[in-house]
Amino acid sequence: MSDHGIGAGRYVGQAVQRKEDPRLLTGHGRYVDDVTVPRMLHAAFVRSDLAAATIRSIDVSEALALDGVVAVLTGHDLNGIAGSMQPSMNVENSPFPCAPLRPLAVTDVRFVGDPVALVVAESRAVAEDAAELVFVDYEPTPAVATIEAALADGAPLVHPEFGTNVPVDFPMPADPEVEALFASAAHVVEHRIVQHRYNPVPMEPRGVIAGYDNVTGELDVWLSTQGPHEARLTFSRLTGVPEQHVRVRMGDVGGGFGQKFFTGHDEQVVVLAAKHLGRAIKWIEDRRENLLAATHSRSDLADVALALDADGRILAAKFDHVEDAGAFPVGGLGGVGPFVSMLFPGPYRIPKIWWRSRIVCTNTCGRGAYRGPWMFETTAREEILDVAARAVGIDPREIRRINVVADDDQPYNTATGMMFERVTPATTLEHATQVIDYDGFRATQAAAFAEGRLLGIGIGLYIEPTSSPAGSLGVEAAKVRLEPGGSVTVFLGTAAHGQSIETTMAQVVAEHLGVPYEQVAVIQGDTDRTPFGGGTGGSRTAVIAGNATRLAAQRVREKVVEVAAHLLEAAPEDLEVADGRVAVRGTPSRAVTLAEVATAVHNVGGVAVDVPRVLEATGRYETQGMTWSNACHVCTVEVDRVTGQVTIGRYVVSEDCGRMINPMVVEGQVQGGVAQGVGGVLYEHFVYDDDGNPLTTTFLDYLLPTAVEVPRVEIDHVVTDGGNPSGVKGMGEGGAIGSVPAVFNAVADALSLVGATVLDQPLTPLRVVEALEAAGA
Amino acid sequence: MKAAPFDHHAPESVADAAALLAEHGDEAKVLAGGQSLLPMLAMRLTRFEHLVDVSRVPELHGITTDGDLRIGASTPQAVAEHDPVVADAVPLVARAIPHIGHFQIRNRGTVGGSIAHADPASELPAVALALDAVLEVAGATGTREIAATDFFEGTWSTALADDEILTGVRFPVWTGRQGAAVREVARRSGDFAIAGVAAAVELDAADRVARVAVGLFGVASTPVRASATEAALTGASVAEATAALADAALAAADGFDAVDDLHATGAYRRRVTTHLVQTALTAAIQEASGVRA
Repeated sequence: MSDHGIGAGRYVGQAVQRKEDPRLLTGHGRYVDDVTVPRMLHAAFVRSDLAAATIRSIDVSEALALDGVVAVLTGHDLNGIAGSMQPSMNVENSPFPCAPLRPLAVTDVRFVGDPVALVVAESRAVAEDAAELVFVDYEPTPAVATIEAALADGAPLVHPEFGTNVPVDFPMPADPEVEALFASAAHVVEHRIVQHRYNPVPMEPRGVIAGYDNVTGELDVWLSTQGPHEARLTFSRLTGVPEQHVRVRMGDVGGGFGQKFFTGHDEQVVVLAAKHLGRAIKWIEDRRENLLAATHSRSDLADVALALDADGRILAAKFDHVEDAGAFPVGGLGGVGPFVSMLFPGPYRIPKIWWRSRIVCTNTCGRGAYRGPWMFETTAREEILDVAARAVGIDPREIRRINVVADDDQPYNTATGMMFERVTPATTLEHATQVIDYDGFRATQAAAFAEGRLLGIGIGLYIEPTSSPAGSLGVEAAKVRLEPGGSVTVFLGTAAHGQSIETTMAQVVAEHLGVPYEQVAVIQGDTDRTPFGGGTGGSRTAVIAGNATRLAAQRVREKVVEVAAHLLEAAPEDLEVADGRVAVRGTPSRAVTLAEVATAVHNVGGVAVDVPRVLEATGRYETQGMTWSNACHVCTVEVDRVTGQVTIGRYVVSEDCGRMINPMVVEGQVQGGVAQGVGGVLYEHFVYDDDGNPLTTTFLDYLLPTAVEVPRVEIDHVVTDGGNPSGVKGMGEGGAIGSVPAVFNAVADALSLVGATVLDQPLTPLRVVEALEAAGA
Repeated sequence: MKAAPFDHHAPESVADAAALLAEHGDEAKVLAGGQSLLPMLAMRLTRFEHLVDVSRVPELHGITTDGDLRIGASTPQAVAEHDPVVADAVPLVARAIPHIGHFQIRNRGTVGGSIAHADPASELPAVALALDAVLEVAGATGTREIAATDFFEGTWSTALADDEILTGVRFPVWTGRQGAAVREVARRSGDFAIAGVAAAVELDAADRVARVAVGLFGVASTPVRASATEAALTGASVAEATAALADAALAAADGFDAVDDLHATGAYRRRVTTHLVQTALTAAIQEASGVRA
């Protein structure tokens, strides 16, 4: 439908094969658990099995006596020697209170999974045996497990330090204009929308190996992470080891999805223990720990209201949002909070809005980033739009057409202060609904309903903020070096964990330096080898690291041309670089290879003294504000009226992420994100009972979608220049955002045929059946 | 997720296995394919000082027919799944096994292990119960046979004594025209069933229902035989049985104490069971009477 190749070059814009594939697809990736260091010990945590309790005593004597146990550490050992455990973002400038982190609980525990002791032993098995022999005497205290419980009058306090369970309450002042619009509107819809708790669940859980050399004072860490440089800063603050003596390395990382963007609590405890003991310690999180205590995500609710005129035009909105931070959020309280409200208008013209943003703490696992951490704005908006469409009596597609921000509305300032430009929500809405044959489906749906079958279609339309200009996260540097043999190495502060960065950044260098893609290697994940960078997350790599890499490659090319001009006795402006050769334009026989250029530079007398002697360059790129991408997800479902099971039919995404570096990688990101959104709506749910006891700590009960459940996604690309030198936009998170309301709305659409209503996710068979039964259907 | 320490024993005969069980009593557990026991050990939900691994006992392997179909307890589920003798002799067994987990699980999991583990959501216990299978058991003092009806006592609980080992299962072979079907509802492909039905129908020469077997799984604390459903259909003509199916299926849902859990309520299980019994029996009757679906 649209030209994938707008702006495509020899390498950039092409679906080249991934450099990562040979090792990853044959099972030869090297993850942190594949690393062994000399005299390495193994750790296991003793975790609270109560959501809230006072600790009367901890008895480690039996555990310590077990053969093979080296140490059993409690908060008495570690808490007094720990520096800050906060991420740099909070240390530098936190607008919100920070959760009172401590390495190990000493006086009380605040969620099931809260670490109380760390056993260090000769093997993990012994460490786990010993962990069972640590006896913690608890006095249980009342817990709050839900947002509602945390907000209740007289609720027990999760953190007495705060004096409240609502450490952040950010209401806009009451707005008489909004109230007047609601009072006079032809239609008002109000709805409480709940986004249930589900988690990143990376295939590789967290893991760390930390070693401290008492003689050299060096702290050497292997980490499963999305950001080794941030981890290095964190470990330096935590342990007091100066940053220049801290090295953090990562190998392959089996997914993070945000969970490994900031440096986790438990990894920090292991590093601190290694420093304390002067021994190398490995800790590999197991699946139960990952589900119980790594980070949790989503878990939001909002009372949402729209005022509309008789035609379905939105006049005003109210968005009263509460985010559940759990007990010890990773990345800090308020990491997302008000941003959700600010994005709530999304791709629609909503002239007036009142919003309130609260963050509550509960006695549950702390919240952490997860692919589109702010995505509740899309869930809430897209779900209430369908409610509004039914109230007004128009089709869900029509209400979007009426209100969507058009191309000629841009630049468009939302009522919440966001400025959108270079976005195409109206175009993607039309494309996605055309590809899926929206009108044809409505006919099919009616025919099927005549036979008693329930089919539905749902839309999720959104604008995705990428490459945020937030402190050090808005900048990247890239170093590109021409090697003596003519190959090229790129050094990046990024931290690929599934994003194909080795491939895409090699494409960028191959394109802009003029060398074969095969001759470019990308190095990431080692603080001793790579420039400082914010890591990979927040859909920032393509825009920020990509433009930095482009600049560095161009600078090396300039140096290469300057040397070659000397060697060829030609004017630099007459030279072109391609395929690893510099040739005089129009006279291809007059050429030197990049190896010859490098040889000249690296040998005595090879070049004149006034040409560059170092064939490497660094590029720095600072994001110019937010880069907005956008997409429209549409899917069809069938609901089984007897079993309540939902089967997805077709799934279409029309997306605009600017110029694509590699369309295959873009499509992989979309497909993967959709898998997670489908999982969230239909299968995944981390459940606590009212006392804060977790009920879904294995994959038996926490249900991830499998290849059978995930639909094949049909993808349409709309390409609008991103407004930066390479024209790209970030897009790593959107698949997990638009998919949630698309699937939800499709099910709601099907159920509306028989007057049934679903309010909450996940849409389990049971919940669907109960909705049908409540409607007498 | 490391199991507590245990000793691993690999006897090569049933007698040696039984002797080990007798020696260690309730500190020992039989290890078959390990698809249920090993995760439970790794999560320390259970622990045993001794695991008696019966996977290398030759006499526990093999599939034979001699009036009954006999499947040795250590026969991998995948072997039984693809064995033409099984499919021919007792089609319901061959059709139930593909519903067990995923193929990797069936490669390791054993027929006897599934039955002895007695998870109420498992397919084979319900099949054994519905078909009046006989379970062959050996202990240090000898062998005995237990009717499937008497075998399943509760969730993960059977009539096997601590020092006994399941050695094989015998399924009666039906000789008339028959049909068999397995239907289940699970949250995802390969999950434990929220509700499931294994049904077989045999017609006599006069096209009347000679035998009908309906086993339910995933719905109660044990596999359940839908006796009322069977009684309502036995002796009926195909037309009569088809007409009576809806009521007979309703009767199936009344025959058990439905469990509530994270994934479904008892009421949901009854609703779905009725539907599954009806669809499974419809398919089985059609197959037996030669109607192509």
